[in-house]
Amino acid sequence: MCLAFPGKVTKIAGDQAVADFDGIKKEVNISLVKGVKTGDFVMVHAGFAIQKMSKQDAKEVYKLYKEAEGK
Amino acid sequence: MANDERIELDHGGGGYKSWQLLQEVRGILKERGKWQNCEDDAAVYDLGNQKLIFTSDGFIVDPIFFPGGDIGKIAMCGTINDLSVMGAKPLGIALSIVIEEGFPKSDLMKIVKSINQISKESGVPVVTGDTKVTPKGKLDKIEITTSGVGIAEEIIPNNGIKPDDVIITSGDLGEHSVTLLASRFNYKTGLKTDSKPLNKEIEKVGNFLNACKDPTRGGLAANIVEMAEKSKVKIVLDEETLPYKKEVVAVSELLGIDIFSLASEGRFIAAVSPKYKGQALAILRKFNPEAKIIGQAKKGSGVYLKTKLGSYRPIEMPKGKLIPRIC
Amino acid sequence: MEKEVLDKIHKTAAKIDHDVNLMEVCGTHTQAIARAGLRSLMPKNVHLTTGPGCPVCVTAQEDIDAIVSLALGGIPVATYGDMMRVPGAFGSLDQAREKGAKVFDIYSVEEALKIQKGNSNLVFFGLGFETTAPMTAYAIQKGLTVYSTHKLFLPAMKALLEIGELKIDGYICPGHVSAIIGTRPYEEIKAPQVITGFNPDDILLAVYMLLEQIANDDPKVENEYQRVVHPEGNPKALAEIFEVFEPGDGNWRGFGAIPGSGLDIKKKYEAQNAKIKYKSILDKVDFTKSRRKTACKCGEIIRGLKLPSQCPVFQKGCTPDRPIGPCMVSVEGACNVEYRYGK
Repeated sequence: MCLAFPGKVTKIAGDQAVADFDGIKKEVNISLVKGVKTGDFVMVHAGFAIQKMSKQDAKEVYKLYKEAEGK
Repeated sequence: MANDERIELDHGGGGYKSWQLLQEVRGILKERGKWQNCEDDAAVYDLGNQKLIFTSDGFIVDPIFFPGGDIGKIAMCGTINDLSVMGAKPLGIALSIVIEEGFPKSDLMKIVKSINQISKESGVPVVTGDTKVTPKGKLDKIEITTSGVGIAEEIIPNNGIKPDDVIITSGDLGEHSVTLLASRFNYKTGLKTDSKPLNKEIEKVGNFLNACKDPTRGGLAANIVEMAEKSKVKIVLDEETLPYKKEVVAVSELLGIDIFSLASEGRFIAAVSPKYKGQALAILRKFNPEAKIIGQAKKGSGVYLKTKLGSYRPIEMPKGKLIPRIC
Repeated sequence: MEKEVLDKIHKTAAKIDHDVNLMEVCGTHTQAIARAGLRSLMPKNVHLTTGPGCPVCVTAQEDIDAIVSLALGGIPVATYGDMMRVPGAFGSLDQAREKGAKVFDIYSVEEALKIQKGNSNLVFFGLGFETTAPMTAYAIQKGLTVYSTHKLFLPAMKALLEIGELKIDGYICPGHVSAIIGTRPYEEIKAPQVITGFNPDDILLAVYMLLEQIANDDPKVENEYQRVVHPEGNPKALAEIFEVFEPGDGNWRGFGAIPGSGLDIKKKYEAQNAKIKYKSILDKVDFTKSRRKTACKCGEIIRGLKLPSQCPVFQKGCTPDRPIGPCMVSVEGACNVEYRYGK
């Protein structure tokens, strides 16, 4: 089950961090991702952050894609 | 049927398996006397110019205390609401409590006080009851059963939806389940249980309702599917107006639990003829500004969600228990 | 944006004079496609098919029978939610629990580490692809004992193409697996591929990008999910996997053994390898029962050869509350998804 939306890191203590998912605060393990800082958005899978995430969404990808293809 | 069949958690989950088990039990308990509606949330006894409504419900919950309430509050509201959604004025509650040996007395008194609080708020007294204590380990802390009677001149059925009726929810849904799930999984949320007695609001709006049900176990999915089936109509819900707060959506996504199966303990869904929808909504919004129209009934069968993209997908009675999915 | 992309999907599909099979290989994509009703919006010649992306579904029968045997043999077992209900020759883990075995369903391996404190011989049934393998690797280094059925994803994609039973014109590549492995490994596969996210707009955009590749005869790896997936993936998580695991022959439902696709626990950590630690129990398990043929077609469904509706037991005897095969158990399984959303 892959989670489709990221959490925002609000607190870090060692391997553990608190991430905020649309108002839900949940403990996540951040040991698998390098250099996580407070304020970062992280994608979480089974209780662990697996990657930092930028805010870019499908709409922006689509815009870039159209520009690149000249469509 | 195989002799080694065991009762599974799913049999109490409020979904398809619960329904199947109920069918089997009712297949044995065939005597009805003069009672009607024996398969509904409450049974009906015709007294001539009035109807007596009778219901009962058992409550186990983990944790016992949670944001916005406790097992006592939901036990009271559950039974008051089962009577109210049938259009009855609840008269009184019988309260039975089974307690595990060693349970803190202060917790019991806290629960009793919260029962009293709902009793005052709703105007429905606890009139009789029973207490039992089991040896330690024979029960998980505490179990509460509430039974209630009410009277009605006309009952509001759960099968009275007509084509073109709008489907209304009395407020946002699923907050009760999500509050419990969040406590269990150590999520911090600003949400509280939505548990509350519904008798006063249904009393005010009851005349406008063609059908009514409270989406407790099995959530919107189980209850709207049941209402559509019994009413022999098709219902289309609109993804743009779903009655869920963003925190509820977040928890359902985080745990991989179908949002439509999340329970509420102080909300109802109802069908209203289009010509009364404005009046009904105006009344409901005095009690809860979140009350809104979430869909419409049509001729046909099944319950569908019209997605934001314009496609349709079916909404089914939940199968299997609410467990978090991971991979 | 969605309506515009849909429009373009239809225009590009009209330029392609044959049927196009696009396979998604991630259970969450399977579910997202069904939830948004995307199939009903596709042009007539574009088919979205489901591949081996549901980790519960691809777990081999022998592994399920092994873990249930351990549980029934008195070893406490922990695993992720859906795995509990997959039936095997000796029942499911859920049924083992009903019979008194100690079985815990957990949400994160960290819970397993906590449970282990009160149950020192706990075995975690590790399953999943590169997404969950790093967490299991983390927990093994913290002292957890594991029965590993973890798998590497790309060997299965390659196997599907090599078997060549189904004409696959393009892949909708998984989001979270790619967050770990990055975009580069996909370049070994010569087929149109787009890595994408889980929202309906992500998936629609991926379909459009794939159709453009097909229409222009320009197969390549494109990344729609740049917000999470970087070309190099997540090197720290990959390092964690290969600290603890080494590739071996992975045993897949539907495929059998795929060389190099399994993740076996290295010798260095063999004290926490349940397959070695509890060999005496596992040696007594009658695995011929696991290989017994049933009417369930999960194997062919996982390979994209059959639709759930073409399975003789689908909806007849096999339902989500009484599943015969794993594809009906998992909410991401093709049969479960078809059962719930397929009308």
